[in-house]
Amino acid sequence: MSFMKLKAISTLLTMINFINNNNKKSGQWWQSLHRTMLRGVLGKTFRLIGYTIQYGCIAHCAFEYVGGVLMCSGPSMEPTIQNSDIVFAENLSRHFYGIQRGDIVIAKSPSDPKSNICKRVIGLEGDKILTNSPSDFFKSHSYVPTGHVWLEGDNLQNSTDSRYYGPIPYGLIRGRIFFKVLFSG
Amino acid sequence: MLRGVLGKTFRLIGYTIQYGCIAHCAFEYVGGVLMCSGPSMEPTIQNSDIVFAENLSRHFYGIQRGDIVIAKSPSDPKSNICKRVIGLEGDKILTNSPSDFFKSHSYVPTGHVWLEGDNLQNSTDSRYYGPIPYGLIRGRIFFKIWPLSDFGFLRDSPNGHRFSDD
Repeated sequence: MSFMKLKAISTLLTMINFINNNNKKSGQWWQSLHRTMLRGVLGKTFRLIGYTIQYGCIAHCAFEYVGGVLMCSGPSMEPTIQNSDIVFAENLSRHFYGIQRGDIVIAKSPSDPKSNICKRVIGLEGDKILTNSPSDFFKSHSYVPTGHVWLEGDNLQNSTDSRYYGPIPYGLIRGRIFFKVLFSG
Repeated sequence: MLRGVLGKTFRLIGYTIQYGCIAHCAFEYVGGVLMCSGPSMEPTIQNSDIVFAENLSRHFYGIQRGDIVIAKSPSDPKSNICKRVIGLEGDKILTNSPSDFFKSHSYVPTGHVWLEGDNLQNSTDSRYYGPIPYGLIRGRIFFKIWPLSDFGFLRDSPNGHRFSDD
């Protein structure tokens, strides 16, 4: 929209310049008007860009360090979180290393760095984890390595989680989901 | 007078938050200066060298084999590690020392990278803790600024034979 405005202004200025060349007596006055208008437009554009960067950075830091609203998709956390539910996530726990067993966290996926996963923390570093289904006769355990967490979805039949890709490094955790905006129906 | 002082304090806090956020975003998305410690990247990066890291490659998924990256440590989320990328997802990696008779390979899983320090005898890297998820990478180190005798772009790996295209 501002591009169209600039184009209109520059067309106007070209016309003024044309008239200017045919009218040498008021040439000086038209030239100074041309310069002032152009400088005004440029100044406004730079100020706008400056404000956008400023508030963009503040918004980004707010989301990164405090928290934000997100939408979870997929069936792996049913019935706690349904598909397309909107939740609040806070990022302070992660920075102060306050994530605990039973927290629902959002983390970067270890198999796809571009997407996020949304699971519950079952074990922290050093915990003993049962890694087989309850129907197996021989129970097999493993220990969560230092700096890692074990995640599982609430919907165990339909969740790709640490039972599939193993414990994930704590560094992949991005925030803790603590509040769901309730939907009617 | 009190209102004047309070007003000035709030304005100061406001400016600090504003410019703090801008500086943070600049470091996060563009790059910054850092100091590497430890012997695991010798001779390319010595202990206490100061380097430039850029963070754009990570966001555009442009990290390549042979890049030196800084990443969050998988065993300690509070610290960072500084290693060279030897393999990307799907690559075949030699996981034993050249002196072993039987060569053993493994493949880097999707979404992971294999890191090794240049100083193979004295480096705790993927040979110890396995491939790390790409999501832990924070930036790419490409330029050294201190000491001045070593100023400039970083050299290629002295362990060229570790790139297993053979």
